Amino acid sequence: MKKKTVTIVLTAAMAAAMLAGCGSSSSSDTAASTAATEAATTAATEAAAAETTEAAATDTTEAAATSDSMDPGTGKVYLLNFKPETDEAWQDLAQTYTDETGVDVQVLTAADGQYNTTLQSEMAKGSDAPTIFNLGSATDAQTWDDYTYDLKDSSLYNHLTDKSLAVEYNGKIAAVANCYECFGIIYNKTILDDYCTMDNAVVSSVDEINSFDTLKAVADDINSRIDEINEQFGTSLTEAFASAGLDDGSSWRFSGHLATLPLYYEFKDDGVDTTAGEPTIKGTYLDNYKAVWDMYVADSAADPKTLASGSYNAEEEFGLGEAVFYQNGDWEYSALTNPDNGYEVTADDLGMMPIYFGVDDANEGLCVGTENHWAVNSQASEEDIQSTLAFLDWVITSDEGRDAITNTMGLTAPFDTFTGDYASSNPFFQDANAMMADGKTSVAWSFNATPNVDDWRADVVSALTAYTDGSGTWDDVKTAFVDGWATQWKLKEEAAQ
Amino acid sequence: MQKSIRKYWPLFVLPTMAAFLIGFIIPFCYGIFLSFCKFTTVTDWKWVGFQNYTKIFFVAGKLDTTSLHSLWYTTLFTVVTMAIINVAAFAIAMALTKGIRGTNFFRTCFFLPNLIGGIVLSYIWLMIFNSILSNYSMTIVSTQWTAFWGLVAVVCWQQIGYMMIIYVAGIQNVSADLIEAAKIDGANNRQLLTNIILPSLRPTITVCTFLTLTNGFKLFDQNLALTGGNPGKQSELLALNIYNTMYGKTGWQGVGQAKAVIFFILVAIISLIQNKVSRSGEVEQ
Repeated sequence: MKKKTVTIVLTAAMAAAMLAGCGSSSSSDTAASTAATEAATTAATEAAAAETTEAAATDTTEAAATSDSMDPGTGKVYLLNFKPETDEAWQDLAQTYTDETGVDVQVLTAADGQYNTTLQSEMAKGSDAPTIFNLGSATDAQTWDDYTYDLKDSSLYNHLTDKSLAVEYNGKIAAVANCYECFGIIYNKTILDDYCTMDNAVVSSVDEINSFDTLKAVADDINSRIDEINEQFGTSLTEAFASAGLDDGSSWRFSGHLATLPLYYEFKDDGVDTTAGEPTIKGTYLDNYKAVWDMYVADSAADPKTLASGSYNAEEEFGLGEAVFYQNGDWEYSALTNPDNGYEVTADDLGMMPIYFGVDDANEGLCVGTENHWAVNSQASEEDIQSTLAFLDWVITSDEGRDAITNTMGLTAPFDTFTGDYASSNPFFQDANAMMADGKTSVAWSFNATPNVDDWRADVVSALTAYTDGSGTWDDVKTAFVDGWATQWKLKEEAAQ
Repeated sequence: MQKSIRKYWPLFVLPTMAAFLIGFIIPFCYGIFLSFCKFTTVTDWKWVGFQNYTKIFFVAGKLDTTSLHSLWYTTLFTVVTMAIINVAAFAIAMALTKGIRGTNFFRTCFFLPNLIGGIVLSYIWLMIFNSILSNYSMTIVSTQWTAFWGLVAVVCWQQIGYMMIIYVAGIQNVSADLIEAAKIDGANNRQLLTNIILPSLRPTITVCTFLTLTNGFKLFDQNLALTGGNPGKQSELLALNIYNTMYGKTGWQGVGQAKAVIFFILVAIISLIQNKVSRSGEVEQ
C-alpha cells in the first residue's frame, strides 16, 4: 500500500513537471505555423531576454531624470526593432534608459526579412506584446489598423520636421518616421573625374551630367572605352554600371526603387498623394523605365541571361572599382567604407546623383523617404503606452539617444532635435541636402504605396527577367506593372473589409 | 501488477498525453478554427465562414490558378522524386550488401548528405548549378523546368542515402534459407530478385515510399533556398505557397490557414491510400 502511494506521488510529480515545462511556451505554440517564425526569433529573443533587467531592483529616486523630459511612468517598453544592424546599439540604449529611470525596456530584433512573421507572433502575446513596432507604409498601417495608437499629440510627431514623413491612416497618425533615407545613382567620383579629362569625353565635368540623355551617353561611352580608361588611369574597370541582379537579394533595387520614378511622376500628374497612390495606374512613364533599365543592362558586364542567378555582387563590383555607377542608397555608405570588406573606394570617391528619368531632369533630386516608422501599440495598457511615449521622447531629445541614433546607428533622423553634432555625417546626405538647397525636388518614395508589395514585385521581376533574357516581351512587363497593380489593389481593398 | 496497470494507466499516459495535447492536438484544432476566421494575430480573430476557402481558387471574382499550379507541380515533383529515390536507393543498397570492399565507407558517404540541413544544402547546390548553367547562359530559375530538375536533384541527393540505409537493413533481413533454397531450385539472379528479395522487402518498400511521398509533399526548406518559387511563382511547391499566402499578402492570413487545412487533408488521404495499397501486398515471414 505504501509502495503504491509513493508511486502515485512520483508519477504525479513527473506529470506536473512535464506540464509546467510545456506551459510556458504553449501560448506561442498555438500559432498556426510558427516553425519558421520560431527559428527566426529564438536567437533574438534570447538576446533580448538577457538584456532585460529586473526593473524592481532599481530604486525609484528619479531626481536624476532631466527636468524637461517626460515622466517615464511605471509601465514597460518593448521595442520590436526592424533593422538588424542596429540591434546592439538599441540594446545598449535600452540598458542606459533602464539604469537611468528604472523603466524596463526590452528590445527584440527580427531577423532580416522576417519582420512580418515575427511581428505577427509577438503581437499575439497580449500584455507581453511589443509596445513599439515598425510600419513600412500605408499598407502596413491598414494591416495593423487595430493596433496603432494615434500619435497626433505625441512629442514624436511634434518634433518631426517634415510632417509628410508620418504615416496617416484612417484619420490618425498611425506611425512616425524615425529616420529617412535617400537613393539614387552612386558614382565613383575619382574615376568619373578622370574620364572627364580624356580626349573626346562626352562631358568635361561631372556637373554636366544633368539629364538622362547625358548620363546614357556617358555610360555608353565609358562602357565602350574600358580598356582605354584602364590603360590611361590604371583603373580596373570592367563596366560602366554595376550588375543589375534580378535575384531576390537585389531585384528590389529595380522593382522597388527604380519603379518609384514612373509611379511618382504618374501620381504627380494625377494629383494624388505621392506616397499613398491610387487604385489603378496607366504606366505613362514605363517607356522611361524601360530606357533606364536597358541602359543598366547594356552598360554592364553581366550576362543579361543570368541576372537572376544571384551570382553577381553589385556592391563588390562598385567597391573594387570595377564599375563607375551603382544604383543604391545612402545605407551603402557604411558597407562601402567598412575596412573589413576590403573595398578600394574611400569616402572621398563617393557621390550620388539622381536617377535621371527623362521627365523633369532639370528639377529632379534624389529619392528621399523611409520605410522605417515607429508605431505604438494601442492595445497595450495605458501605463505601458505612457512609458513608451516617454521612452521615445527620451530617445530623440536626450544626448545619449541622439548620439546612438546619429553616430552609432548612422541614421539620419527627421526630428528638429537633431542639430549640430547630431546632424548626419553621411556624404550621400550632404549631396541630398545640397540638391535640396539648390531647389531640386526630392522624389518621394512612391513605392511605399504598392499594394501587396511582395506579390506585385515578384510578378514584375519575373516579367523583367523574361524580357531581359529574351524569353518575354516588354508588354509582359507593362502588364505585370499596370494590370498587376490594379489586381493587387483590389485584393488589398477586399482584405480590408 | 497486471491489475494496477489496468487501473492506473491513465496516470502513466498523462505526461505524454499532455505534451501531445498541448503540442499537437490543441494547435491543430485551433488552426482549423482559424481557417474560418479573418485574423491578424492568432488571438484576434473574426468569424467569416467559408470565405477563406473560396478565396483559395477564386480571387477577385476570377479563377486563380496559382494554387492549382503549385498543386500539380508538387504532385509531379513528388511522383518523380519518389520513383528516383526508391529505385536508386534500392540499387545502391543491393550493391552495398554484396560484401564488396569498403562497403561501410560507401554507406557512410551515401548517408552523409542527409546530415546537412536543407537550407545549407540548397545554397551550396545553388552555387554549383548556377556556375555550371552560366556556361549555357541559363540559371536555375530560368524556367520552371530548370527549377524543377534542380529541386529533384537536390532532394534525391539528400534522401537517397537515408532510404538506402533502410533498404540495406531490409535486404540483410531477407532469410538466407529462402535464398539458398531458391538457388538449389535453380533460380538465376533475376528470378532471385523478383521472386524472393522484392516480395520479402515489401514492408521496407512501404516505409520508404511513405517517407518519400510525404517528404515530397511537405518540402519547404530546399524550395525556399534553391528557387524561392522563382521564376514568378512557378516553382512554388505547396508548402511554400501556403507560407507566402500567410505572410506575403495583407489580410490573407486566414486563406493561408485554409490552404494549410486542405493541404493536411490531402496529404493524409494520399498517405492512407498509399499505405493501404502497399500493405496489401506484404507477406508475413
